[in-house]
Amino acid sequence: MFETTSVKALLIRPNFARPQLARDIRRLERDILRMGALVEQSFRLSHQALFARDLSVAEQLPLLDKKIDRYYKEIESECTAIITLHSPTKQDLRCLSAFMQLVRDLERIGDYAEDLSEIAVKIFPYEPHSCIPEIAVMSRHAQAMLATSLGALADLDEVGARSIKLLDDAVDEAYESVYETLANQKNIQGSVEPIVLLALAIRCLERMADHATNIGKRVAYIVTG
Amino acid sequence: MLLLGIFLGLGLSICLSICYTIQFNRYFGRENFSKRNILAHFAVLPLVGWRHKFAKVKKQQQYLKQQLQNYQNLLEQAPLGYLQVDEENQLLWCNQQARQMLSLEKWQPGQVRLLLEVVRSYELDRLIEKTRDRSSSQEREWVFHPSCENAEAMVEQKSVVLRATGLPLPQGQVGVFLENRQQLFEMSQARDRAFSDLAHELRTPLTSIRLVVETLQDRVNPPIARWINRLLTEVDRLIDLVQSWLDLSRLESNPTTQLNYQPLEIKALINSVWESLEPIAQRQVVQLNFTDVDDAWINADKSRLYQVFFNLLHNSIKYSPPCGVIRVEVNVNVPLQNKNKSSPENGPLLAIDIIDAGHGFAQEDLPHIFQRFYRGDKARSRSIKGEGNSNSLDGSGLGLAIVHQILAAHGGNITAMNHPETGGAWLQIHLPQVIAKSVTQDYI
Repeated sequence: MFETTSVKALLIRPNFARPQLARDIRRLERDILRMGALVEQSFRLSHQALFARDLSVAEQLPLLDKKIDRYYKEIESECTAIITLHSPTKQDLRCLSAFMQLVRDLERIGDYAEDLSEIAVKIFPYEPHSCIPEIAVMSRHAQAMLATSLGALADLDEVGARSIKLLDDAVDEAYESVYETLANQKNIQGSVEPIVLLALAIRCLERMADHATNIGKRVAYIVTG
Repeated sequence: MLLLGIFLGLGLSICLSICYTIQFNRYFGRENFSKRNILAHFAVLPLVGWRHKFAKVKKQQQYLKQQLQNYQNLLEQAPLGYLQVDEENQLLWCNQQARQMLSLEKWQPGQVRLLLEVVRSYELDRLIEKTRDRSSSQEREWVFHPSCENAEAMVEQKSVVLRATGLPLPQGQVGVFLENRQQLFEMSQARDRAFSDLAHELRTPLTSIRLVVETLQDRVNPPIARWINRLLTEVDRLIDLVQSWLDLSRLESNPTTQLNYQPLEIKALINSVWESLEPIAQRQVVQLNFTDVDDAWINADKSRLYQVFFNLLHNSIKYSPPCGVIRVEVNVNVPLQNKNKSSPENGPLLAIDIIDAGHGFAQEDLPHIFQRFYRGDKARSRSIKGEGNSNSLDGSGLGLAIVHQILAAHGGNITAMNHPETGGAWLQIHLPQVIAKSVTQDYI
């Protein structure tokens, strides 16, 4: 039976002599998934703010970001506490160090989501640009990548984790093409601010996708080493 | 030697049988047996008693098993979603509806996994934690977005309004009932939209009717003119009603963008409202008793807040007995419960109490008075007595709903109670965004 799909199952086996450590790591995993759920939510809200022009949503982002930051700090200090207190085995150590790097990636995605919502507020007064739909597709791709990476973390699914790389290529391509469109824009009337803002937005999305790829890599590292 | 062996074996078996009986009895909680009784019982009928009991227990066990199975089947087929987690928030079991609602394709029965691993919903997790911490039933409603790993499918992905009720169970377990509220939500939205469309459509013909009536007013003779005047007031009433419904729906759909924030002093605002209500107040000989801590300044939409106090004070005057006093008290509160968290919502609140000396709200009306078109029986009888002669929102059933909506748009709230001393209505308003004193001086 291949029941070792969850982190818990994978972790419990080598540790059943040390239930405290196993429990701590499981709790850590739970917190990371909570934080992941929050990051997913803030990404979704920033998408809504930017593409559905729903500004009331943008107000919620700073609050969410504060919560995410709190989880980030908590998880990081918890990781170091476990490392110093329990002197974990090689595999646990691998897991913990991956966790520490992974939460940083998550936290960065949360930050970028907040940036996106600020962009949404600034871009609101301008006419929607023609390449907005393309950027929306890009944003959806990045969100799917985040969901995949978190799903891979929950299932400790190495194949899923590696497949994110392919999705990342789609986002990179979209970035290039939108950048081309924006950079080669001629006869601009009025302010260039919307174009600058859109360039910043695609930059944010591209970075978010990169961080999601990183999370996938860390998950693969936990599984295979 | 052989004899010794037989005796030894016999002794051992008797010892064992007594031992088992005691365990047996303890297992079924029949503690009323005294030790001597057991010994006597078993000395006489050791085997028959056992067999009898065993059969009985087996039957009982089967019955219980059957019942458990029945309950589980019922829960599995229930029209509500149900899931159960253990003290570490691991999903133990969930029924078909829950699997469907939360899109739990990954989970198979018998598998024990962290709930967050199979459904990443922060709200659900919070609800479970809260239920466990407070060990009391908790309820929450939120929009659930199923996570989607495919960018193309994301557009079609529908979010669902879910209501979850968490129930604490023994050993730190928590059971959660899930209810899909999406249809209800959509229906109420459709209803509101239909109403506001209707109001919108009604406004133009009503305005032209009014114009026609106005033209007629000067051209008809006195006996008919009375009817025309009556018609005019009724048309005005209708226009007001339609307008306030439109305001209400606009406020609801876009709470923040409809407001024009500006710093204003509450005392001056309430006084100006009172001035415009003075004629009605004088007719009823009602007085205003205003107590104010200091001049309290607040960031809010002036005309909207004017409407709030107008509606509330107008109501208070209507329901006050002759020579009554309406008390208005303004305080600045710092919320105590969330002091450690420094989010913007937890700043000081402005508390305004409006207390009259009328007969208050009926207990059964209290939960509904802020609903649109809700009228308690008292209000209905009152509006008949009032002959519908006053203007504005008299008895439209929208006044308090508008008040509620305006305050909600400001991030504040209003609660209705009956005052223990006067027995009259007691409306308590809380508003955020109190302006600090030093800043107010800059504005003056």
